[in-house]
Amino acid sequence: MHTELEQESLARLLREIPDAGAGPYDWREFRRRAQAAPAAAARVARLRALAAAIVVALAILALAIRMGGGPRPPHPAATPVTASNAAPAAITEAAPPESDEAAAQYWLDRLPREPAVVHVGTRAAVETLEDHIAQVDDLLSAERAGSAPAARVRALRQERAQLVHSLVQVRYAETLADASR
Amino acid sequence: MTRLVEITVPDEVRRRACAGEEGARQLIYAAVAPATFALIRRLVGNRSASEDVFQDTMMILFERLTEFRQEAPLGAWLRQIAISRCLMHLRSPWRRVRQCLEGVLEGEAGGAVRPATNPPPPETIDIERALATLAPTARAVIWMYEVEGYSHAEIAAAFGRSVSFSKSQLARAHLKLRAWFEPQGSRPTCTLS
Repeated sequence: MHTELEQESLARLLREIPDAGAGPYDWREFRRRAQAAPAAAARVARLRALAAAIVVALAILALAIRMGGGPRPPHPAATPVTASNAAPAAITEAAPPESDEAAAQYWLDRLPREPAVVHVGTRAAVETLEDHIAQVDDLLSAERAGSAPAARVRALRQERAQLVHSLVQVRYAETLADASR
Repeated sequence: MTRLVEITVPDEVRRRACAGEEGARQLIYAAVAPATFALIRRLVGNRSASEDVFQDTMMILFERLTEFRQEAPLGAWLRQIAISRCLMHLRSPWRRVRQCLEGVLEGEAGGAVRPATNPPPPETIDIERALATLAPTARAVIWMYEVEGYSHAEIAAAFGRSVSFSKSQLARAHLKLRAWFEPQGSRPTCTLS
């Protein structure tokens, strides 16, 4: 009951509030604003179109960079993929086995067990490494088909193992970066 | 001032205005502008934003005047347009961003007045100031319900929300306004947004 009475008095007070401040502008001002409105609306529309175009351009640029269309990183040999505990020279300690599978396993076994944290500019580094591995695979196939010297095949296998190792490290760095976001 | 919903315009003047006669339009403007602006000012709050909404409303009135079917007073028809424009303004994301920025600036300047922390003394209780502390949506709902005589169903339809939305907004607004009428010593802390 008390609340209803309060509510009634509130409603009455609200209805009795005098008009706030000054009234609206006069007819002449209304006409002036009405005539200016189309120009202002066109100006706002132009600004909105410009803002939308900028947003779309930025989105395309971001997508291009994300998809690797941006500046290409240098050759994998020169990329800032640096493994602190990787020692390429150590890979050539002993002669690898002759069979392909055993040789690949040999080179991989010679790589450090623990991946190291690396600095990678863009995702393009991953694609470059993958491309390079594919090129080495092609070369290996061609050299085998042409009965190339064993030393040449061995060098290619070694290069492939190093590239795979670099790729593993880049992937690991990516995983770390994702987890820390 | 006559309430907007009660304002009527002679049929002859309306017909001449529909035909584009400047003098007739001026007469209609003079008849409805003060009440329309007062309503918009209550719902929107800010003067410059109110003028923008008012300008839109009056332009729509003259653009659509030929569509007016005379099923209700012209003022009632215009009130629908005005309230619709006000609610569009309140829902606008631009307005929300601007309100946030203004809130930040007020906060930095230490000028924000909150009823729980800085209530006015009882002898200077001012319903207008109390009304100004309400959130725009709550202010619009309480004004539409208590002053304009809208039902909960009509308010819900205008906002595109449920009837319970209207009821809860009204209850919150009542609660917050009542807090201004409590004796200062026993005034509860207002936790409403």
